[in-house]
Amino acid sequence: MKGLMTVGAAVGAIGLLLLVGMIFDIVPSNTVRLVEGYMPMQMLFELACFVAGFTGLSYTLNAMGKGIPRFVQGVAFWAFILLYLKFRVYPPIPFSVRAMYGTVSLVAVFMWMSANEEDWKKFKQPIMNVLDAQSGRTRLLRTAYLILLPILIGGFSYNAMKPKSEEPIELRTVHPAPPASTKVHGKTYVLQTSQNPYRVNPEGKYDQEYSNKLIVEQSMGRLMAPNANPWDDKNQGYLKYVREGGEIFFQNCHFCHGDNLNGRGLHAFAFNPIPANFTDPGTIAQLQETFIFWRVSKGGIGLPNEGFPWASVMPPWEQHLTVDEIWKVILFEYWHTGYYPRTWD
Amino acid sequence: MKNQWNVKRAGLILAGVFGLVLCSAGIAAWTYAADALPEGFKKGDLAPEPPADMIEAGKRVYFTKCVWCHGVDGAGDGPGADRLWPRPRNFNQGTFKIRHTASGELPLFDAKKPTPGQNDLFETVTHGLPGSAMPSWEGILTEEQRLQVLSFVTTQLVKDRKFTDKQSETQTILQLADLKPKAASDESKKRGSELIVEKKCIECHGMEGRGDGNAFNLKDDWGFAIQPANWHKCWNFRGSRQDPYSVKNIFRTFSTGVNGTPMPSFADSTSVDERWDIANFVNSLCERDAEGNPLPIDPLTDKPKINFVLPGKAVEGEISNDPENEMWKSTPRRYVAMGGQITHKPRNFVNRLDDIWVKVLYNDKSVVYLLEWDDRTKSVAEGKLPWKPTQVNVDVKEQDPKTGEEGSIAANQNKYAVYNDAIAMETPVKWQELPAPIKPRYLFGTNDQFPVDIVKWEADGSIRAFKGTGWDKDFEERDTYEENLKVLKSEWKNGRWYVMIQRPLGNKKEQDYDEDTFFEGGKYVPTVFFAWDGHNGDAGRKMAVSAFYYTFLEPPIPRETYIYPLFIAGGVVILEAWVLTRRANKKKGKTL
Repeated sequence: MKGLMTVGAAVGAIGLLLLVGMIFDIVPSNTVRLVEGYMPMQMLFELACFVAGFTGLSYTLNAMGKGIPRFVQGVAFWAFILLYLKFRVYPPIPFSVRAMYGTVSLVAVFMWMSANEEDWKKFKQPIMNVLDAQSGRTRLLRTAYLILLPILIGGFSYNAMKPKSEEPIELRTVHPAPPASTKVHGKTYVLQTSQNPYRVNPEGKYDQEYSNKLIVEQSMGRLMAPNANPWDDKNQGYLKYVREGGEIFFQNCHFCHGDNLNGRGLHAFAFNPIPANFTDPGTIAQLQETFIFWRVSKGGIGLPNEGFPWASVMPPWEQHLTVDEIWKVILFEYWHTGYYPRTWD
Repeated sequence: MKNQWNVKRAGLILAGVFGLVLCSAGIAAWTYAADALPEGFKKGDLAPEPPADMIEAGKRVYFTKCVWCHGVDGAGDGPGADRLWPRPRNFNQGTFKIRHTASGELPLFDAKKPTPGQNDLFETVTHGLPGSAMPSWEGILTEEQRLQVLSFVTTQLVKDRKFTDKQSETQTILQLADLKPKAASDESKKRGSELIVEKKCIECHGMEGRGDGNAFNLKDDWGFAIQPANWHKCWNFRGSRQDPYSVKNIFRTFSTGVNGTPMPSFADSTSVDERWDIANFVNSLCERDAEGNPLPIDPLTDKPKINFVLPGKAVEGEISNDPENEMWKSTPRRYVAMGGQITHKPRNFVNRLDDIWVKVLYNDKSVVYLLEWDDRTKSVAEGKLPWKPTQVNVDVKEQDPKTGEEGSIAANQNKYAVYNDAIAMETPVKWQELPAPIKPRYLFGTNDQFPVDIVKWEADGSIRAFKGTGWDKDFEERDTYEENLKVLKSEWKNGRWYVMIQRPLGNKKEQDYDEDTFFEGGKYVPTVFFAWDGHNGDAGRKMAVSAFYYTFLEPPIPRETYIYPLFIAGGVVILEAWVLTRRANKKKGKTL
């Protein structure tokens, strides 16, 4: 038990040092890389490590007879959560969201502190001591609080009222509801019944099972399945069309959506927000092929009214591409990210 | 190592015979005569051949990720190649730009040793080549996969040379890890600024280092157009290794040259000390913030972080047309990122204007934008425009010919008829009535009811106004609005345009509210920028575009801002008194 707690303490201490380093910009904040797509899990794992670490620290300190008072523990843990959110989480989250998480964790800390009567007493004792001001130190503290609080709160409200020029926040509708059907190049496609005509086996039959076996593997790097090279000249059916779709993608789409389909293409830096990341499990992996067909054909301008705020310069690709080319590009996007399109049933 | 030991021994023998003074001279002369390497370099060994299983595994990586630009045979002619500038690398000749090895030599690559500073190709794949389409593969491919794909490329796709051939290949390696950068003192930078003239750097890189020297028709080894680096945009340095403000990377590039391009190695003609001076100077030119600190770089894009609000400061009276005037100098500038307009024909795949610096001032009548951007060439129209400047969705043929063939984009580079350099600002009319967040529905205006108001300056001195009414509509020329506009300044100097455009603030009474943008203090007015490089064939919708920024004319601080906080502070004091009294009463046993 003791050994375990010592390990925990070490983890906690190292983690804290890293975080402090990041706050003061000594350690670059990407030292421990956040892996794309796994970020939320990684964050939760890290936080769990920290909590375990703190338990270890607290236990070890107690064993050494230098236990930290309940009140300090509570305040320190809350401060830790706030700093973690501000300095570790990347891309940075806006203040309003952080304030929300901050409030939630404050409530959590209170719940933790008031879990039983004795703990609660221990927790509020320092506050009461200062209010009562029995000793010289607490009297000094009380006077300091009495003077500082009005000044600080006044200052904050001045800051809050001063006209500021922060970018207005935009909340996006990521997947607006699609229409029932869409008309592209003069032909109407019903989204529920249309199929990608190129998702076919070598015999030319629509075959999702066949194509699913040939997409890239979902492991790190997302490499093509062995013996499923779309650049093999002997390919018939699905893989042949994947290659043709890729050619179209790399002549039209990668400028924004990126060489790795992660939304970081050559021109992506100029856009706000940066273009959609197809490798994120929240984008095309959640959608049907026909939904993509509609979005690609109609572009940002084709978004429905509730698809607000239309922060997209994606053109209606039907201007530039034929229906066949659009289907092939979609085929390529699913192949390259290793996702299956969702089906309607 | 052996050489060194020999040198030492020779030195010792000499010391015994001729005495200490002669000996030290002897070492220097002997070393020099023995291998005559440029200062800072040492001989190295060729790396062993990568194992066959890594080569085989690398093929799988290559045909998933790389083939699309670099091509089946690694000739830099994949399907994406023709619409890219800079172009994807042709691996066949074994010519690689970013190296620690002497000019003309193969780069460092060892399939078993991904050590930073000792594995050039691995670092290129890891960090990508900023300023080109080559992304950073770190976090996408594992370290193992990056080494595998390089094993494949170096053995199978580099065809004219062999990384392991001791007969034909040598490795003379810059010992960058052992060289300590010289402090970037004023003295060092001053010496660097003299050296870049003496070493003729400015012939290509230009008087101010904006890549605008006598270099318009530079070509690489394959005959494709390339341009000298702009030292003011260090985040676009190919060899910046995602660490653009590092002086070491500049030192390395200057020491080893850039293979396949006209950039030579200066290792033989400069001492290490001089090279640090030059690197310090070049590094000091890169854009910095008002305090002189490096700009924060966004790790998602490897470009400066963007603030989408363009703050405009209020000025009493006339607004100066001199950017050096105090009123301009005290105004914060903003980085506006520009991408190619690739959504509507004519599309601009090869975009050469990737940012603009913007400052805004306003007085009671007008708002003035100071726009500064780097453009290597001053272009005033010589040719006839191939399409109308207002036209969208022009029917032009874009792709058929393959890379480098007659008619391809690559073959056309630097051969366009010259049109006007130009810049335009677009703001929506009636933005107040757009639903929040206030933005038109599309870059070129929503519809007839919610048009956009475009003000365009061109290098022939003209300023014109247009109206945009939708993504697929041609712009309409507004003939009567020009008299309200004024160009306070337009100057091209050493690779940079300085243009100052004044337009009325506008209000409902005097201007036409249905056609003009009304700039209101304290509100976010959506603003888009368009830019054209005349030597790049940019005309009409073939241009660079920005995202939506916000012009924010800072209002004077209202009096309430000073009064209310005082009230609040007073309230807190009362609250404190109440809490204390209550506590005291409770302790005394009194309850209220």
